[in-house]
Amino acid sequence: MPIIAEYEYLKVKSMEEALKIKSEYGNKAKVIAGGTDLIPLLKENYIRPEILIDLKGLKEIYEIKIKNNFIRIGAGVTFADIIKSKTIKKYFPILWEASMTVASVGVRNRATVAGNICSAVPCADSAGPLLVYNADLIVVSEKGERKIKIEDWFTGPKKTSLNEDEILLFIDIPILKNKNAGCYLKLSRYEGEDLAQGSLTILKTGEEYKIAFGSLGPTPKRAYKTEEYLKGKKINDNVVSHVQKIIVDEISPITDIRATKEYREHMAKVMIKRGIEKTISRYYNGKPKYGEGMIE
Amino acid sequence: MKTKIKEKKQIKEIKKTYSELDAVGKNLNRIDGWEKITAAAKYTDDLEFGPALLYAAIVESPYAFAKIKKIDTSEAVKLDGVVRVVTGKDFPYKFGLYMKDRYVFARDVVRFVGEQVAAVVAKTPEIALKAASLVKVDYEEMTPVLDPVKALEKNSPLVHKDLKNYPHVPWFFPKPDTNIAHWRKTRKGDWEKGFKEADVVFEDTYYVPRYAHCAIEPHSVIGLYDDSGRLTMWTSSQSPFTQRNVFVGALEPFGIKHKDIRVISTYIGGGFGGKAGVSMEIIGAALAVSCKGRPIKVLWNRAQEFYNTYQRQGVVTKIKMGVKKDGKITALEYTLYWDAGAYVEYGANVVNAAGLSSSGPYRIDNLKIDSMCIYTNLPPGGPYRGFGYSEFLFGLESHIDRIAEKINMDPVKFRKINAIKEGDTLPYGAHMNPTGIQEAIDKVSKEIRWGVKEKSKDKNKEIGKSVVCFWKSPAMPPNASSSAFIKFNEDGSLNILVSGMEIGQGLLTVMAQIASEILKVPISKIRVETPDTDRNPYEWQTVGSHVTWGCGNAVKRAAIDAREKIFDLVQRVYCLDRSDLYLEDESVRCKTNPNFKLKFSDFVINGIQAEDHTFKGGPIMGVGMFMPEFASAIGDPETGQGGHPNVHYTTGAAGVILEIDKETGKMKIKKAVLAVDCGKAINPDLVKGQIVGGMLQGFATVLYEDMRFDQNGRLLNPNFSDYKIPTAKDMPEEVVPIIVETPQPDGPFGARGVGEHTMIPCAPLIANAVYNALGVRIKSMPVTKEKVALSLLKEKKS
Repeated sequence: MPIIAEYEYLKVKSMEEALKIKSEYGNKAKVIAGGTDLIPLLKENYIRPEILIDLKGLKEIYEIKIKNNFIRIGAGVTFADIIKSKTIKKYFPILWEASMTVASVGVRNRATVAGNICSAVPCADSAGPLLVYNADLIVVSEKGERKIKIEDWFTGPKKTSLNEDEILLFIDIPILKNKNAGCYLKLSRYEGEDLAQGSLTILKTGEEYKIAFGSLGPTPKRAYKTEEYLKGKKINDNVVSHVQKIIVDEISPITDIRATKEYREHMAKVMIKRGIEKTISRYYNGKPKYGEGMIE
Repeated sequence: MKTKIKEKKQIKEIKKTYSELDAVGKNLNRIDGWEKITAAAKYTDDLEFGPALLYAAIVESPYAFAKIKKIDTSEAVKLDGVVRVVTGKDFPYKFGLYMKDRYVFARDVVRFVGEQVAAVVAKTPEIALKAASLVKVDYEEMTPVLDPVKALEKNSPLVHKDLKNYPHVPWFFPKPDTNIAHWRKTRKGDWEKGFKEADVVFEDTYYVPRYAHCAIEPHSVIGLYDDSGRLTMWTSSQSPFTQRNVFVGALEPFGIKHKDIRVISTYIGGGFGGKAGVSMEIIGAALAVSCKGRPIKVLWNRAQEFYNTYQRQGVVTKIKMGVKKDGKITALEYTLYWDAGAYVEYGANVVNAAGLSSSGPYRIDNLKIDSMCIYTNLPPGGPYRGFGYSEFLFGLESHIDRIAEKINMDPVKFRKINAIKEGDTLPYGAHMNPTGIQEAIDKVSKEIRWGVKEKSKDKNKEIGKSVVCFWKSPAMPPNASSSAFIKFNEDGSLNILVSGMEIGQGLLTVMAQIASEILKVPISKIRVETPDTDRNPYEWQTVGSHVTWGCGNAVKRAAIDAREKIFDLVQRVYCLDRSDLYLEDESVRCKTNPNFKLKFSDFVINGIQAEDHTFKGGPIMGVGMFMPEFASAIGDPETGQGGHPNVHYTTGAAGVILEIDKETGKMKIKKAVLAVDCGKAINPDLVKGQIVGGMLQGFATVLYEDMRFDQNGRLLNPNFSDYKIPTAKDMPEEVVPIIVETPQPDGPFGARGVGEHTMIPCAPLIANAVYNALGVRIKSMPVTKEKVALSLLKEKKS
């Protein structure tokens, strides 16, 4: 299907060049790295940018690099890169696990993690892991650089706290010092590639849990009340049944074409129960392996 | 009775020949395999037309039902690169396959969201699209009809006020001044009495939504109307000849005759019924005629593929069934309200087919079937693999399990008691053909260990099983015919010309196998290609799972014709008695003279040299045609009795072992089994391929596929993000295809159709297995995991 919108296209040679255009054009300039969200929008004529800034020529956006106490993921890093990265699998296995569920091989070869959270749809698969790992987002503009906490990033469906003149350049994830385990649970309509009907990410470090959900509210979000309740608790049936009530209060799902509100609420309960079981099993026994046993 | 004895004799004779078969019944490789694997095979969009090629874009209605007040094309015409803009004004003639109820472009009224109102022809697809967005159309919205049951209410708006003037085939019964485009009534016996005699009478309603075919290759067409007035159409189609005929219907006023239109069908990337008849291709034909001398391509995008081709119709079905305690069905009342969409030129025949056969493969002496084709302001319904049978079978087979439970009878036993037998009277009065349905039920039941309750290893999961039966007949006009040419080449190889379409099912290979069997030429020396209406002989359409049977009969007759010509010649030249001649190993042999061996390559083109050095004979060709001369579509309009609309039924049974997660509702098919009585499998591997593919497609319609419309009649999921079709990961863990062979006396080597049947039983299989496992009954398709989980939750709460 051809694109009928007319726009300038510029493959920039430096970030400065990109930022200059961004500061001049604002939202009328769109940034392209993977393009798996942007190009369909162009084809459908939903967006009509005046200029496309292609970042693919910039070397610095492709790195997955261990810094002092964090790991830096560049804006050009694709889900396929994440899946291939031993560093990610070692330090952030939940992000690795979630990446395996993104669309299909072909899409993962192009789609970037940064693009995933810039599109900021409620079902973004990388959002949950980045939320529980407390990622920091490094955004740049001509005015300089600023750091946005991932929990402050998602401001509404398809909305972020990124300003018009800014570009998301790096995702920095702090390295966890303590033993940890977790899981990404994705509810989908069939076995093939799908957008989540609902998702749940759980991370356990010691006695603490961090929990995030996707497609169960207008934005991907942390479930702080649920986390607070679980803190220091020994998990038993009572605790699980109580936590199921809390999570349902914390989410705000809607009925749409992918699922009803009722099913999403029900599945949030099922997912939190199975997610905790799986997390604990991974924490103590290392089983099931990451990438194995989704919502069976 | 006489016919029955005659048929038995025929079957015996057919079976006798099976031990001697060389090509038929063998798992030979597809003859189109290399072409497809090496990408040498061409599809319409691959064809090159050079820089003269023009592209079209469509101006589509944003409303489900509205009057067109004004169309302003002035801005579009001005755009550089635009060649022409056409609207309904340019084509004031109706077209349609079975009922002429639509125009090429909407005129005065639009009847579904996405309907073509105008088209732009331009030098590039981009210009065409841009210009299409510049066409201004003023509409006056009207209240759309979106529900087939409400469409019957007295105060419902009428989708077609002019219905009474629409020409249609004689077996349709429209009700003017209503939304009923066709009402098929079938009545047999005394159903009131049957219900009185019943020990249990049970009724309920079942819902089936609309579905899309989702062929991987979208519809595409290229049309060229040359300066001499010849129209050539390259189409991705299952029906080149029917297309030609429909094109003539719409374009005859322009002075175009059948001989002037040439339809060339390339390979197609899946059809499933969606590329039968004429849908968007009419636009290609019309645009070509509007732009003489330039080829024009119309290529549908995926969204158009969903909303502006044919859709499988939705249906609301009400069943009332009476049974005796001994399991015998005493009466059936079945009313089907079909959501047929804005135009029913093809879809009304789906309704008709279901109305004749909604008893399913059971002998029911007292029945009343009402199958109503109801206009709605949704996209046009039409043919889809199964042609109405999947739809009525969901309710029927669900209902049978439920009523069997009410009389405490094993549902498999119930089906065996009622299953139709050869010679039984069909709903419309004719008699049932030979059938191996009992064998199919037994084999399937055994394969899934019916009667043995199984437990899952996982405490969250339950295992359920089910067995259902199915049947289907080709739905075709009584005079739908097939024909074939066979030409010999110098080396004794063959070209077979037919117009049956290769749509993935393996038709080309099967035709080669049939000819190979008669002429004793290996299929490696036989070429069969996709049709061209100028060069290839007539075939009605490749639909209804009838081409192995119909086209196969034509090829067999053509091969026999060629063989007889060979025998004539050999008898004439060598003075051998033709009754002693036979073919073997690409040669003519003689029973009384073992030394006689005349290779085909020695004479099939250049003849046989006689003793006087002259040559006798010439190029050997065979001609064959087939028409079911016993068929008739004319019965009593009030009862359906008296005609013989269906040529035969293929029957079978299927079963599943289904594991279900009680919390998530997720279902895993551990084993799927389907036994089909295809009469004779000409190529068993291809039949098995149909079983595996058909079941996967069928399971998708019951587990997750579902077309959703908003309250304005707009399709919400014209894409694969939200209309899910199965991937390799969605295959059942195991599929067991079983071939049953009770020969069809009038089929080639006893064969009858099999393609559609393999998806028909899937929906009730899942619904019944869910009930078997969990005790919850889901009466609306699809039976998604969400519905299963929520039904179970509701059950628990109450």
